[in-house]
Parts: sequence; structure tokens; C-alpha cells
Amino acid sequence: MGIRGLLALIFFATLALAVGFIYGLVAFLKERLFELFPPDLWPQADTALQILVLYGMVALIIFTTILMLLVFFLMSNLIVRPLKEIIKAMLQFSRDGEKGTLPNVEGTPREIRELASVYTDLVEKVDQVHRHDVEISRVKSDFISTAAHQLRTPLTGIRWALEALEKEPLTESQMALVTSAKEKGKDLVDTVGTLLDITSIESGKHKYEYSVFRIDELIAEVANDFAPHAGQSQVSLYYARSEAPLPEIRADRNRIKWILNNLLENAIRYTPAGGTVRIMADASEKHVRVRVHDTGIGIEDKDRSNIFERFYRAGNAITKQNQGNGLGLYISRTIAMDHGGDLNFASNENGPGTTFTLSLPLPR
Amino acid sequence: MTDTKFILVVEDDPILKNLLGHTFAGKYQTLYASDGNEALALFEQYKPSLVLLDLMLPTMGGFEVLQAIRARTDAHKDVPVIIVSNLGQESDMEKARSMGATDYLVKAEVEIEEIVKRIEAMIASPQTPATA
Repeated sequence: MGIRGLLALIFFATLALAVGFIYGLVAFLKERLFELFPPDLWPQADTALQILVLYGMVALIIFTTILMLLVFFLMSNLIVRPLKEIIKAMLQFSRDGEKGTLPNVEGTPREIRELASVYTDLVEKVDQVHRHDVEISRVKSDFISTAAHQLRTPLTGIRWALEALEKEPLTESQMALVTSAKEKGKDLVDTVGTLLDITSIESGKHKYEYSVFRIDELIAEVANDFAPHAGQSQVSLYYARSEAPLPEIRADRNRIKWILNNLLENAIRYTPAGGTVRIMADASEKHVRVRVHDTGIGIEDKDRSNIFERFYRAGNAITKQNQGNGLGLYISRTIAMDHGGDLNFASNENGPGTTFTLSLPLPR
Repeated sequence: MTDTKFILVVEDDPILKNLLGHTFAGKYQTLYASDGNEALALFEQYKPSLVLLDLMLPTMGGFEVLQAIRARTDAHKDVPVIIVSNLGQESDMEKARSMGATDYLVKAEVEIEEIVKRIEAMIASPQTPATA
């Protein structure tokens, strides 16, 4: 209920109370009053009293109504309208980030003026922080793309020179050296590319390349890629294909693959030898769900709320020897959410380890 | 005996230029420019059949060179231009494509072999539809 509704309610309630009170009072006093008159005047006195009460009521109603209208008018102009305009400006700011115009609050009650001025300050502060954020993120993104460019130029020279060297007559062992160097060079180039991708995904400006594909085929592909790595770490890696084929999804295949790569890499990394990593996938009406279940070291309670923060690495993750940069899960979740899906995890109920769940929406 | 076909390579890094030259030697008549002005002067003089264009160049950048070529009024304005740059952001690629680049390769991510393949494909069927 708005202020005006509340006012109207108060007025009507007061009026009803006043009318009731007067009637009650008159009825109560009537007996005693009439004792002052001789009985033959009672009918006349009764009529006079009734008329008096009636006029009194009419006067009361007219007076209250006028008063009510006056208060209404004042309240509307001084409080309700400025408040509504301030709310409108606030809404506009929270929805579109536009500052909007505040009403002229001169002559309104002090509280309204204070509200307007506090709000103006607040908007200014938020705006300042936002501009600062945008600037930082621009500088950072510029820095990373410049750095990437600076890294790529010498890398190009190294790779092209190795390519030329490869065409020379080389002994077998020389060739093996060139091949290793080439491989590592390629890894480095890929890392630089990932760094750039991460920057653009993080900045929210990444353009996803959507296509329609089957997630079960992608999972099989990724599981296959990781089979040698799992073997080396003595971790059994299974992909339990669902019996019914999963529906097609519309997503950026490379980015989803990137998420799956990350999940599997983590799962294998944090699972001790002899453990198991199991991938399961199913579909509901609106989503497909991919679960990566490991029997690894698990995630401690104190880390639970942080592992999706950028650069965060759980305490028990740092002690393990690994190359994680603390960005994988953060970017993975960002990608999932950009797709309208989500990435989450839960500790396994029976037994050690963690299950990560990636859900992606089905095309409507 | 066909006409001599020139390829214009615009690359400011001398080592990368040499490495490209190492592979191109004997394959193509190659012209080298290390900045935009030089590239346009050589273009005017030799009317090459294909341009390999870097983007980050001293004095005049690759985008401007591309723009100048596409703004020509003669038949040479539609010459295939392959951007070979280490700028690899989606925005750079989109800008180059919108300006009429025929192809875009990120230098560090391709082998020279791949560049040669693209050149061969374009020289074999040189006439790409005109892009404004």
C-alpha cells in the first residue's frame, strides 16, 4: 500500500471512529439531558437533538473531507511525487546504469532532500568505482595483448627457424632435438593464445562461436585425449555413456571442450594413484548435465566458497606439485554462465573426492 | 612462359623476413617492404599478384596499407591480401576482414608451409570477388 492509500485508510478509520463516538456520546447523554426538560417537551427536544446531530455530522464529514483533500494534495506534491521520481531514477540506474534526472527537491521535507542528496552521492561513488574498474580492465587487457604480441614475435622466429632447420639433412638424433624444440614452441604459442582468450572471456567481450553438436561425442573425444595422461598418473578414467543418446546442444564447442579439459585435468591431478575419475552425462527437459566424479583429495570446507574466484587455489592444491594457474575454474564457470548454464561441485557423499557438474541449456 | 608474378611481403622484423625469404627463394619473385610507405611504393611500381601484410609496422600500419590498396581505382585493387600478423584478437581479425583482407593468419600459430599453401591456393585462382 502506498502512502496515499495509507492516508486514506487512516482518514476513513478516524472518521468512522469519530462518527461512532459522537453517536454513542449522544445516546449516552440523551437520558440525562432529557431529565432537565418537562416530559411534554421530550418529542420536540428529541427532534432538535436529531437535527443537531445530523448537522454536526454533515459538518464533520465536510470538514474532514476538505482537510483530507488538503493533506492529500500536500502529501502528493511534497512527498509522494518526489519519492516516486527518485525511485524511478534509482530503477533506471540499477537497470540500465543510466544516472537519470532527479526531481527538483527544493521545498520538500528535509528527509526527501536528504534522500536525494545521499542518492546523488551514492550514484557518483558507484559511477566512479565503475569507471575505475573499466579503466583497469582496459589497461590490463591492453597490457596482456601487447605482451602476447611481444611474446609471439620472437616465438615466430624460433618456430620458423626450426621449421627451416627441419628441412636440412639432419641425423636422427638432431632431428629428435628439433622435433622436441618445435613441440615446446607450439606449446608456448598455445599458452599465449589461451592467455589472450582468457583475457577476452574475462572482459566479457568474448565472441563465442556457436554451433550445434552432440556433447556425448565431445566428452568421448576429451576422455580419449586424456587416456594417456590418466594412465601415466595411474588413475582409471571412465566415461559412462548414457544409454539414450543425448540431445544436441548449441554452444561454442572449443570453449566447452576447454571446460571439460580443465575439469578432467583437475580431477586427474588431484586424484592419487589407484583412484578413479568417472564422467557421466545425462539430460533433463531443459539441460544437459556432465558430471566429473573423482576419488581425489577433495575440497576443504574453508575453500568451498572460493574455488571459483580468479587466481584462487585451495590450500591443499598448492602443496601438490602442479602447474595450475588458478584461472581454470573461474574461466570455466564464466564460459558456462555465458552460455546460460552453470558449473558447480559437491563433495562425494559416499567416499572421498569431489564431483563437478557442468550444466548447459538445451536449445528451445 | 607466363608473366612474372610478384609477391609483396610486408614485414618489419628482419629475421622473420629472412626466414620467409629462405622458403620463398626459388619459388616466387618476392619483393620486401618493411613499412607501409615502402609497401605502397613497391605496389605501385610492380603491381604484385599477392600481398603478405603484417599489421604492426613503423610509420604506416598494415590496416592503412590494406585500405590504400582497396581504395585503388584500377584492377589491382582486388589483389589477394593475406594478413600475417601476431595481432590475433577477434577484433583485429574482424577489422581486417571488414576492410577487405582475403585471409588472416596469426604468425606464431602457423608454419611457413601453411603460408605457402595459402599463397598457392590464391595464385592458382587469383580472382576473388571484389570487396568494397
